[in-house]
Amino acid sequence: MSFLEYSLKTTPTGLSKLLYFNWPLIVLVSTVAGFGFMMLYSVAGGSMDRWAEPQMIRFGLGMGVMFVVGLVPIWFWRNVSGVAYVVSILLLLYVEFFGAIGGGSQRWIDLGFVRLQPSEMAKITIVMLLAAYYDWLPPRRQSHPLYVLIPVVLILIPVLLTLRQPDLGTALLLLVGGAAVMFIGGVHWLYFAGVGAIGAGGIAAVFASRGTDWQLIEDYQFRRIDTFLDPSLAPLGDGYHITQSQIALGSGGWNGRGFMQGTQIRGDFLPEAHTDFIFPTLAEEFGFVGGTFLLTLYVLILVFCIVTAMQTRDRYAAIVSLGVAFTFFLYFAINMAMVMGLAPVVGVPLPLVSYGGSAMLVLLAAFGLVHSANIHRPR
Amino acid sequence: MTARVPLRPLPRILRAREEGQNPDRIERENLARRHQADRDRLRVRAESRLLMLAMCFFAAFLTVGMRMASLAASEPEEPVIASRGSALLGLRADITDRNGRVLATNLNIHSLYSHPYLVVDPEAAALGLSEIFPDLSAEAALEDLTSESNFVWLRDNLSPEQEQAVHDLGEPGLLFGDREMRLYPNGALAAHILGGARFGREDVDFAEIIGVAGVEAEHDAFLRDPANNGAPLRLSLDLTIQAAVEEVLAGGMEMMQAQGASAVLMDIDTGEIIAMASLPDFDPNARPLPAEGVRPEETPIFNRAVQGVYELGSVFKLFTVAQALDIGLVNPSTMINTERPYIVTRERINDFHYYGPEQSVHDVIVHSSNIGTARIAAMIGPERMQGFLRDLGLADALPLEMVEAGSARPLWPNPWREISTATVAYGHGIAVTPVHLAAAYATVLGGGTRVTPTLIAQDTPPAPGPRVVSEEVSAVMRGMLADVVTEGTATMAQEAGYPVGGKTGTADIVLADGSGYAEDRNRTTFASVFPALDPQYVLITTLEEPWVEIAGNVERTAGYTAVPVGTAIIRRVGPLLGLRPEIEPVAGTRLSSASN
Repeated sequence: MSFLEYSLKTTPTGLSKLLYFNWPLIVLVSTVAGFGFMMLYSVAGGSMDRWAEPQMIRFGLGMGVMFVVGLVPIWFWRNVSGVAYVVSILLLLYVEFFGAIGGGSQRWIDLGFVRLQPSEMAKITIVMLLAAYYDWLPPRRQSHPLYVLIPVVLILIPVLLTLRQPDLGTALLLLVGGAAVMFIGGVHWLYFAGVGAIGAGGIAAVFASRGTDWQLIEDYQFRRIDTFLDPSLAPLGDGYHITQSQIALGSGGWNGRGFMQGTQIRGDFLPEAHTDFIFPTLAEEFGFVGGTFLLTLYVLILVFCIVTAMQTRDRYAAIVSLGVAFTFFLYFAINMAMVMGLAPVVGVPLPLVSYGGSAMLVLLAAFGLVHSANIHRPR
Repeated sequence: MTARVPLRPLPRILRAREEGQNPDRIERENLARRHQADRDRLRVRAESRLLMLAMCFFAAFLTVGMRMASLAASEPEEPVIASRGSALLGLRADITDRNGRVLATNLNIHSLYSHPYLVVDPEAAALGLSEIFPDLSAEAALEDLTSESNFVWLRDNLSPEQEQAVHDLGEPGLLFGDREMRLYPNGALAAHILGGARFGREDVDFAEIIGVAGVEAEHDAFLRDPANNGAPLRLSLDLTIQAAVEEVLAGGMEMMQAQGASAVLMDIDTGEIIAMASLPDFDPNARPLPAEGVRPEETPIFNRAVQGVYELGSVFKLFTVAQALDIGLVNPSTMINTERPYIVTRERINDFHYYGPEQSVHDVIVHSSNIGTARIAAMIGPERMQGFLRDLGLADALPLEMVEAGSARPLWPNPWREISTATVAYGHGIAVTPVHLAAAYATVLGGGTRVTPTLIAQDTPPAPGPRVVSEEVSAVMRGMLADVVTEGTATMAQEAGYPVGGKTGTADIVLADGSGYAEDRNRTTFASVFPALDPQYVLITTLEEPWVEIAGNVERTAGYTAVPVGTAIIRRVGPLLGLRPEIEPVAGTRLSSASN
């Protein structure tokens, strides 16, 4: 459907667009972020200026970006999808080749108010590009091997670049997020079943090879897997995060210890308590009730994105909204699974709550796309 | 699904033409309808996919929710501090001697760090710290305490006094992290065996301890294995005897003006090393780093008993004679031609003393005749000789439980020429470590079965090794060595207070550049067993470049240097080992005998 068809129907224009923003979504996002500010205040030991205040400033900026993105018509975003993708790949290459300045692996570009991680940006641009691709691709070619290969290559480029950084968590998110968009786009399910079967077979082969002459991975990698399966094997090493995090979750109980009463944080037991491992703090202070409340907020955010996708007749808008929803889902599902010991520690922040500018900014921009889809659908 | 409608159905087109309408309109209409159908199908598929995604979301929520509930319902685990304190500390097991006395343990200490954002008064704290730690300037401390980072290390290992002083500053931003350090409470005692440890990965409340040498390195995995539940590593050493051996050896080394010394005391049946000393030594609590440009064997961390591969001289004669007896080539009274010189492929072999043109095999050992031993070796032949030395474990690296042992491989003549058989027979041209020698002596004299040296306490006697010489030959050799002490080259050993059998060895020291032998620089060895005829222990004593002035003569041979030192060790450790003296020391006995 071209934008000419939109023009024939009515889409809001001018300031009246503000009325058509998905206001419940904005309220939900703000509530989650507010929850995050509280936790950052608590983790810092009752200090605003350490993490809470910078985070608030970034949230404010991010909301600005969200409104700007939302006000721009969705067909503009479809037309620049390719450009956005290329720009994010170039930025990834930039940090790959120039990021090593100052020792260590640098994954970000300093924009002054925020350090932008191109890999975070790629999470959204890959969704945009694939949505535009499946909007353009005639339905009968969706499952043609050649037309399946193209998006696979498009996904693998940023995945491999982030793996080199190395950032396993982000690479995983990109891969699964991209695959989800292909799934939504309508690629035949046999492809997914095939990849899944190969993956499962590969894992089974790796485990079957343990201790034999043709062992497929190194011993230390097996030990890492063992640590994940039973963190108490290495209470100081790799298992430490998981053990401490589960202790914190258990210590919260049903109702929690109360705001600012968490022991894990006071005792400095839980490293990264303000970034990837913020959820245990929350669960310790607010208990199961608090944790479930946050989970519910996340679910509602997903629901509003899905509703937006179902209401629009524009294929691009629908796929983008669902892609954004799925990326968001991956963030918090992996993070929560990680801190609860259901998944290995791969370094994925809790969206909108964890301290960190890039992920917040990119997510808010992505919600801007959902708003744009919502505003610019013909009514 | 309905049948596919052609884009330009002929009847309708014809009808439209008749009616004067543009037939293209019909095509557009059908095309639009077809696209709409496509879109609808796409939509149905998209919605089913969406449903599947939603189910996947739902499953994830359910899993996370249920996990959260199960964690919330779990017994709140309060003893977080306790788990940090007890489970994480004390991770490295102790090392004890055979009686459970501690040789290496851990000491709980603290490190000092700071969260600068918690510091109330950085200036006062920096000033206070600079007073407590003289090498820390107030400016540097202030810079740390006011830094932007969340965490700064200030000091590594605090003494309790320093810790109290820092505590008394009352600054909430200064914090202590638990850690352990490895402590060797006996200082330099058994330094070479224990080796030493260093810190590995460091965390706020924990620092990994890694063994760097000796049994600490060899058994690093065992010592760190939580599965052992803190069970100590029990060595075969006896702390008391080790201390006595070290003390007597140090005194003897000083008296003989030696550059280095080593002693190995081994249980003759089990191969357990009861004491092992190498001098000069060091304190493993502050293990010195190998200095640049210094050869490893010149540093105190060099273990002469385990790493020192030396030509040990006449002590090897025991093996040659034992083999000849075992094969049946000779018996103790067989006469051997000892006319000198004995020339083997243009090389002259000589003796220190001339005892006549013929000597019995017994006297070849007692008088330590090179010529006699070389002639016996010629009867044995090179292949059998090499095989015998190999059976004694003198061809391979030590199977001892120390990291250093693996790198000390014996040096054999290469190529093995005719002269090699002659020289190896009396211990030249072949180099082994003192522990090799101790194990070989234990094998030949302890009943004839192979003895493997070990540093780990054996609760049950190990199964006897393969037979190397017969029981009878072993007994005959014990008698010969006893005679070496009573009438041969080691008469000073009669002063031990216990019946001792032994063999001396004096070898020229090989120059550092390998170009030849040094003038007047010997390595002397006394390889002894005691009690002589029913031996329970082997003691190998070696001295490097010893000399002693006796009656105006400078004496450098083993009989005057290694023998008295070894004798003093036996005299001192005999009571500690629970041996009953069988020879009453005769009052007023003088050191009178002169031999090599």
